[in-house]
Amino acid sequence: MKEIMSNNNTTNISQARKAVEQLKMEAYMDRIKVSKAAADLLAYCDAHIGEDPLIIPVPASENPFREKKFFCTIL
Amino acid sequence: MCDQTFLAIVFGPCDKCSKEKPLRAIYIKSEQLNYCSLCVEMMATEGLHENETLASLKSEAESLKGRLEEERAKLHDVELHQVAERVEALGQFVMKTRRTLKGHGNKVLCMDWCKDKRRIVSSSQDGKVIVWDSFTTNKEHAVTMPCTWVMACAYAPSGCAIACGGLDNKCSVYPLTFDKNENMAAKKKSVAMHTNYLSACSFTNSDMQILTASGDGTCALWDVESGQLLQSFHGHGADVLCLDLAPSETGNTFVSGGCDKKAMVWDMRSGQCIQSFETHESDINSVRYYPSGDAFASGSDDATCRLYDLRADREVAIYSKESIIFGASSVDFSLSGRLLFGGYNDYTINVWDVLKGSRVSILFGHENRVSTLRVSPDGTAFCSGSWDHTLRIWA
Repeated sequence: MKEIMSNNNTTNISQARKAVEQLKMEAYMDRIKVSKAAADLLAYCDAHIGEDPLIIPVPASENPFREKKFFCTIL
Repeated sequence: MCDQTFLAIVFGPCDKCSKEKPLRAIYIKSEQLNYCSLCVEMMATEGLHENETLASLKSEAESLKGRLEEERAKLHDVELHQVAERVEALGQFVMKTRRTLKGHGNKVLCMDWCKDKRRIVSSSQDGKVIVWDSFTTNKEHAVTMPCTWVMACAYAPSGCAIACGGLDNKCSVYPLTFDKNENMAAKKKSVAMHTNYLSACSFTNSDMQILTASGDGTCALWDVESGQLLQSFHGHGADVLCLDLAPSETGNTFVSGGCDKKAMVWDMRSGQCIQSFETHESDINSVRYYPSGDAFASGSDDATCRLYDLRADREVAIYSKESIIFGASSVDFSLSGRLLFGGYNDYTINVWDVLKGSRVSILFGHENRVSTLRVSPDGTAFCSGSWDHTLRIWA
């Protein structure tokens, strides 16, 4: 019985140790300020918004889903 | 969980105490030794530093968690929507259903676009996986899986194969062939083996490797040719429901979300969890990287979608409204990352302005919950699949 209990303890201890190691790694990672991160997200959006067909619609003739062409072929 | 090893009990003299007892094989510096279980326990406790007990480790974990929160809070100097105030508001959106793909006999659970921006693979509850041509709405291939609830499907980057899986706990790869005489199911290759249902799968940059997420709480990277497990990712405390690979060519990370409300970012080579985020209040159903790879969005059963920035290591935006009370099942970004499309369980699709945090549009059309949503590779349209047995292409 005691052996089973200590088995549980070993797994729990190793799990707890792994959790502590993981948290240590996460706590000490390099972070940047939200203002800088937000600015970067804005910059990316700005740079690519012109190419986004869902925001700046391309003419219907170039968008294969919007054009009225029929794709059926007569067999 | 995933790792189950079956011990063959060997009886004999222990290498340490020399008593005749049931032995366990342990490895010290790659050398195999046979110790009795008592000596194994003693060895494990030898590794403990003085006064290190389970309780002290737990309190250390708590204090580290507190420190983590402090560090994150220190850098929280402004909100994303405040920075975005100077950005022009978006105009009115006219997005309509341009195509309806009918043919599934039951709930559509998952779909994926081919890199040719035209073909779509979708899977449903009745076990059918169909490849469609989205321009013409024709079905090009259909395969019936031996299991129901095919919850995951993916198109290979080359466009020559598809992968799918679900309640069979496996991920199978089917090469696509246009030969009418060939039976697709005959060439099926079982790649992944999990101990619970497959919830998500995705090819990496090539046809040769597949990343899978499973209800057994793990993610895994497999080699398609040999079916070998290359790396496994343990850390989630419950079923993993979704995953997404980082967009860059050289990127080696992916994010996964699970029923333990956590989103975790992993290094594919080492199997380590690099970052984890736990701000959702319920299961995370879908995660998707922002196009630049510096952030990711998640959709959850708590009726919110959230944006997490990886370099700031925190949640930077929440997309929610009091009137939205049903969970978000699936999210995806538009090409520029300015729009976030969310498919919800109340049958609607909400379109959010990522930067300002406001809802731009709400799309109606599906007659049952939206289960899956993906924007096409060139961003000209997005496709949504629903429990109403259909897929809709919106543009």
